[in-house]
Order: sequence, then structure tokens, then C-alpha cells
Amino acid sequence: MSETPLQTAERALGLADAADVQVTVVRERSLMSRFARSAPTQATAVDDTSVEILVVHEGHTALASTNRLDDDALRATAQRARAAARAAAAGGAGTYPGLAEPATAPAHDGFDEETARLDPARAGDALRATFAIAAEHGLEAFGAWTAGAVRTAIASSTGSRLDEEVTDGFMKVVCRDASGRSGYASDTATAAGAIDPSMLARRAASKVSTEPLAELGPGCYPVVLEPEAVGVLLELLGDLAFNGMSHVEGRGALSGRLGTPVAGPAIDLADDPLSAGTLPRGVDFEGVAKAPLRLIAGGVARHVVHDLGSAALAGGDARSTGHAIAPGGSPYGPSPWNLVLGGGAAADVAELCAPIERGIYVTRLWYVNTVREKETLLTGMTREGTFLIEDGTIARPLRDVRFTDSVLRLLEATEALTSERRLVSEGEFYGRRFAHASLCPALRADGFRVTGATTSS
Amino acid sequence: MLDLLTEVLSRAPARCSYAEARHVATDEEELLVRNGRVDRVDRSSADGVGVRLRAGGGWGFAATREATLAGVERALARALAIAESQPAAPAGPLVPVAPAHGHWACHYERDPFDVALEDKLELLFAAERALRGDPRNVRSDAACASRRVRTAFASTDGAACTQERVECGAAISVIAVDGDELQVRSYPGAHGGSAACAGWEHVVGFDLAGNAPRVTAEAIELLSAPDCPPGRRTVILGGEQLALQIHESIGHALELDRMLLMEAAYAGTSWVKPGDLGALRYGSEHLNITADATLDGGLGTFGWDDEGVAAARTPLIEAGVLRAALSDRGCAAAIGLDRSGGCARADGFARQPIVRMTNVSIEAGAAGTLGDLIADTDDGLYLETNRSWSIDDRRLHFQFGTEVAREIRDGELGRLLRNGSYAGVTPRFWSGLDAVCSPSEWRLWGLGNCGKGEPGQVMRVSHGTAPARVADVQVGVA
Repeated sequence: MSETPLQTAERALGLADAADVQVTVVRERSLMSRFARSAPTQATAVDDTSVEILVVHEGHTALASTNRLDDDALRATAQRARAAARAAAAGGAGTYPGLAEPATAPAHDGFDEETARLDPARAGDALRATFAIAAEHGLEAFGAWTAGAVRTAIASSTGSRLDEEVTDGFMKVVCRDASGRSGYASDTATAAGAIDPSMLARRAASKVSTEPLAELGPGCYPVVLEPEAVGVLLELLGDLAFNGMSHVEGRGALSGRLGTPVAGPAIDLADDPLSAGTLPRGVDFEGVAKAPLRLIAGGVARHVVHDLGSAALAGGDARSTGHAIAPGGSPYGPSPWNLVLGGGAAADVAELCAPIERGIYVTRLWYVNTVREKETLLTGMTREGTFLIEDGTIARPLRDVRFTDSVLRLLEATEALTSERRLVSEGEFYGRRFAHASLCPALRADGFRVTGATTSS
Repeated sequence: MLDLLTEVLSRAPARCSYAEARHVATDEEELLVRNGRVDRVDRSSADGVGVRLRAGGGWGFAATREATLAGVERALARALAIAESQPAAPAGPLVPVAPAHGHWACHYERDPFDVALEDKLELLFAAERALRGDPRNVRSDAACASRRVRTAFASTDGAACTQERVECGAAISVIAVDGDELQVRSYPGAHGGSAACAGWEHVVGFDLAGNAPRVTAEAIELLSAPDCPPGRRTVILGGEQLALQIHESIGHALELDRMLLMEAAYAGTSWVKPGDLGALRYGSEHLNITADATLDGGLGTFGWDDEGVAAARTPLIEAGVLRAALSDRGCAAAIGLDRSGGCARADGFARQPIVRMTNVSIEAGAAGTLGDLIADTDDGLYLETNRSWSIDDRRLHFQFGTEVAREIRDGELGRLLRNGSYAGVTPRFWSGLDAVCSPSEWRLWGLGNCGKGEPGQVMRVSHGTAPARVADVQVGVA
């Protein structure tokens, strides 16, 4: 039987020859099947293990990593980290407060045995079902199906011994007609088997309309955002507003605003890493146990998130909230990756649309980027399912628009939310696979700022 | 390693109509000095093998860190299993390729991995020290990164080649805050600076410490500068911003997989269609764009792409008219071309090759120096260093923000403006291009953060630019 990640971490720790060491071992196994024009295009299987050795020396951290697991490679990697930490300390004492004390990972439901088997036949079946539904509607299907099993182990010189395995599944479907009209649907879950490809294909197909396209010029409009659009905005808000390091440095959108109203009274936003409705995680990359944390309650800003380093910079009674995204903390600071936005009383999106005389319905946002950090001012495009709302109902498809607006302003102008929520993700897996998602309702907000409309060419 | 790869491929079952194996060993080092202290020293090494094959019309790719005969055989079997689990699809052809043989290595003077860590940190400390001094400067960073990638590639088409690349990059940046106002200033470029396929000499050449006082002074000045007013103006784009403009509105738009809808569900499609090749007017007669994987120092420079196609120089747009697209073997065959554009690139061993930019550059013009171009402009804005970027999924409607905007009045630079931004529609924007600076101003900008593909791949590409002028641009949009 092959060595487990925790056994590898303990072996590396024994070879590290340094006083303050954390070894993090991550084994990723994953499958990804892509498709376009109702045919498979690329299928990728990954099996990789990385070992990251963090050495702390006089308040400095140095990280070295390898994916070779023999003793010589682990010794050499530890030596590189030791040498780097000494070199860093030559410039003066650092501010890293030291490794975390041993924690117990809280239990959660983030692992599914069947998903972890990574059966490629399941991917094939998902694609076949999707293609069939698209064909029924006279459309072509595009998208991706993926599943992953990631096991993370931490062993440290302070006595931490953590071993966590999570799984995730994600599928997205774009249905498209010959003229280029398209609709989008996606789903993510701990268990790949919980994702229904046929339902996604039907949802995507339902957004492909042959009605004439309406156009809206620049201006401010009432908007209904589906959960996927809300999720993109919240994910960026997570970094702009709740990153403890930015907050401490005065760069954060909530610097000086904790305890004050920053959103409408209906807004309750939390990071809830243990909720079964999310993609649960028990510990962060510094070995600190995770727990639910209220970020905005009743529209009032309550907390930012910390890793060990940002908490030390904050001082006072600040403690890590378990949001380190890399061993020793990331240079970008901590981040909340299990955002949960509380639902409202609206039964569905139709109820959200009902009071709108003329407005925009958005399925999905694309290429959203920050314009001005402290204002949480973002710009991006709508995509694959944008509609004009007239007289309280979705009237006809709308040419995609560019928006430039503040997330906090939108949350302040939020008038209603659906009770039903969806776990949403972009399904992006750059570098080491780390699946994360936000649990979001659809919402209606006033004054969505459109700064440009698309044209055919 | 080549022998091992070739041996495994020779054992591929007959039902594999094509197979390739790629071993990639990557060493990276990232250093960051922040606010007077070493904030980050990361050193990583990874190696493994990716096997891609085609069976029954379907593609399968499997990656393993076990670079042994048994490990690669298992990867081949896994790739075959997932290829055969896909729904049946017709097998599109691949254009033929001359088998790649031999070794290629990029040119560099000083191996960055031979430079003592202490010396690198000393350079960063000196630069970061020169950034500090004003309490409104809440974050000052000096960073550098080095990378070595060794590749061995073999295919059932007879390829057996090896390559070695060394890359270096560096940057300094300042974030200044005063109340609710936050401004950023960077050098030599934003988002991690500018990298090149080069040695440590590339980092030394930036003179980070020498530029730091100007960078920090501009960040502070921006805090109280007036906002860039809205309107339609003539703009001159600095080289780094022009690089990103080309990247987003030309490079990605000319990826043939996007035109063929293969990326429709993620990266997007393109406003350009395959039938536009040879006829579409993309911009003014001043617009000459070339993809060149043979350029010395480019992040998109190599001996062979990741399908074993030899590096090439391809004019994409000549005098404003679209001539060619960026392609790999499959996409080229799909539109009836007889050869690949040599643009198949993969990010490490665990990702499969997809259509990517190489070094996509604007050819220099005859407008002289940047000073000459400004002197030739009666009324306009000079926009420098990217701060934000966004473009639609067809690469048609874009909006950019820059760190710096400066008024141009009667041929001279005037007031500094903050929150510079502009927006446009790709062919209309490029039709306004009326001048490009001369070769003396042309240089390569290395971007290390181009995302595409699923699972995600981060690619390194370069763009050669000289500052250029564009008329009638919507500015002050954010």
C-alpha cells in the first residue's frame, strides 16, 4: 500500500532538520472533459502530489516545494527552504508570528467516495446526456464536466497532524444556436453524482431565444442577477473588502468601516466553510481550524478574515480566522472561499422581476475586473442569457452590456432576494486544484450602471 | 528521458492513431521584499510527464509525476481509457509536421539560479528602500522571479527533441492611500512587471532602484491629481499598455480555436471568422502585427511548440488587413491550411497543449521617438501602465484603466490625471491608429499571466511594441 499524504508529510518533517517547520502535502487526482459543438474536444486526467516545506526563522518564512517524494528530494527541498529563510532573516527580523498550534479539523461532509473513484465513464455519460438534450432543442452544446479528489495533509514541528480529503464536481453547459445566441447553466457539488447534466442542458437551452434582440444604452437600470452573477461579484468583494491584510494596510474597502452599514438591511453575508451547502473545508493552509464567520450582518460590516500573518499585523485581539490560502500565508493575504449570502423571501426570479417596469435580467457575468479597489468598483460584461425586463416580466433577449459599478453599492441597493440559493462556481482550476464556490440567491437591485452595449461587429 | 518517452510510445496500442509524450521539469523562484522586510522566498521544483493521444476520434490526456517507464505507461493507459470513454466523434485530421529533432536552448548571459540569493535580495532591498518615505505609501514592493523549464518531447509522428528555457522578470510597485483615495504606480510594468526569456542581466537592466523615487513620487502625486475627464480624445498608449491592448483585442481574437468555437464555453469565441482571413480590414494601414516565436528574448520564443512544430514568424495583419491566425495542427487542418502556425503550448507537464500566442507584436512605424510623437500631437492624452482590463468573450468590446494619464497640449505633456480609462470596439479602435513610433522605441514586454484552458493554464507571452497614437477614443469611462 502506498504512503498516505500524512505519512509523506511526517517523513518530510523528519528529514527537514530545522526547528520551525510545516510540511504540507497535497495530492490531486482529477478528471476534466471539455466539449464543443456537441462533440468531445479535450479530456484531461491529472495525478500529482506536491510537498511544500515551510521554514520559519526569526520571523521570516521561506517555502520550497517539490513533487518528488524520495528522501533525497525531500531533504534537498528542506535545505532550500532553510537557506532561503536564513537569507531572508539577514535583512532584519520579520513579522511572522510562528506556526499554528495543533488544531483539530472540524468534521464536515466534503468528501464523496463515489466521486473520488473518478470514473471516466461518468464524464462520457454526462456529455452524451447533454448532447441529446441540446439536439432536442436544435442547439449545439459546449462546456465542461470535471471531478476532483484532493487530499491535504499538514505535519508541523508544533505538533500539527491534519489530514483532510475533499471531492468536488462541476459542470457547465452553454447551448448555442446557429446565429450565435446562447444560454448558460452550471452546477457544482461535493458529489459529482449530484449534478444533473440533462437539467443543466435544459436550463441552458431555455435561455436561447430567437426573439429580436433589444438594446439598452448607457444608464442605470433595475437589475435581476441570477446566482451565478451574484457569485462572481461576491468573490471579488471577498478580496476587496474582507482581506485582513488589505484591511490592516488601509487598502481595504472596509478599512475604518467595520461596525457601520455598508449594504442594505437584507444583506447577511458569511464565510461558512463547514456548511454542507458549500464545498466544505475544515482547516486552512496554516493548519488553523475553520469556523463560520459573519462578514456582513443586517447590512452592517462585522468582520474581515485573517491568516496568522495579517492577524499579527492587526494586533490587539485579532486572531487567524482560518483563511490562509498558502502555507505561511499568501503575499496577497487571506481570502474567504466559502461565501454564503443569506436568502430572502422571493419565491423565484419571476417574483424579483415583477416590480420592474424596464430593467435587465443577467444570467452570468464575464471578465469582471477591479477598476478601483476601495470603492469595490468593478467592470465586466454580461454573457449567455441577458434579457430585457418590461412591465414585470422577461420580455425579450438583450444585447450583452458592459457594466461598471460598485459591489457594495449594489448590495446597498438590493431590494429583494430569492429564498432558494444555488452553490455557484466558475469552475476554474489554475495550478493546484482548489475547488471553491459561493452559496447565492438571485437578487434584485436598483441602479445597475451600464456603461456600454455590444454591437454585432 | 527521450528514450523513455519513445519507448512508451512504441508500446501504444494500434488503436491509437496518434500519441505524444512530454516530460517537463520546472524550477521556479519568487522573491518579494515588502515594506522593508523579506515577505516571500518561494522555490519550487516539479517534473512529470503528460501523455496525449487520440483513439477512435477522441482525445485523451493523462499527467503523472512518476517519470518512470511504469509511471508513463500507466499514464498512457489512463489517457487511452478516458479517450475511449468519450462519446464517439469524427476524427478530424492533423496537418503534417516535419519530425522535430535536436536540442534548442534560449540565449542568456547569467543563469539566475547561479546568482546568490543574498545578492538578489540586496538588489530588491535597495529598490524597495528607495520607494519608501511618505506615510501615505502603505505598501511598497520589490519582486523578482526566475524560471527554468526543461522539456523533452516525443511523438508517434517521429518527433524526439529537447528544449531549455530560462526566464527572468522583476518589478517595483507602490500603493498610496489618502482617505478613500487609493492609487497604484508600478515599474517597468504592472501585474508583476516585465519578464523575458533571458538571464539575470534582464533584471539588472531595469535599474529598479534608480526608477523607484520617480515611481513613488508619481503615486503620491496621483492621490490629489484631477480625474481623467470623459470625452473623445486622441490617445498615445505607452508600450506596456499597448502590449496589453494587442494581447486582448488582437492576439486572443486571432486564436483559431476561438474562431472555430472550440473555446466558446470558457475563453470565448472571436468576432473574427476563419473566412475573414486574407480579406478583413482589422485597422488602419499603420497596423502591422506579427507572431514570431523566433524572437530573441521573448516569453513566446521556442525551438518547437508543444506539438513539435518548428518556431515560425508569421505576419498576422499587414497594412491593416488580416492575413493569418494563430493555430495548432488540428485547427489548421480544420480550415484547410497545409501547415500549423506553431502555436500549440502547454503550461507544465500536467496540462495539454492548446492554441496560444507566441510573441505577437506590432511592427515599429516611422513616428520617431515618444517625444517626437507627443510633439506631433496638438491635443490628447498619454496613457501609461495598465491598471485594469476587461473585454467581452468575442474580443470586440474592451475597457482599460491605466495607472497614469497625462494631458497633451500643443505637443507637450501637461497635467497628471488619475483614474485614466478608455473603451472601444476593436476594429473601430484600430482604424484610428495613425502613428507608431520608430524601431528605436520598440521593445518586448513579457506578460506572465495569460489564462486560458480547462483545467486552467497560465501562459507566458511577449508583445513587442513602440508607443502608438490612436484618434477619437472614448476616455474617462470609469
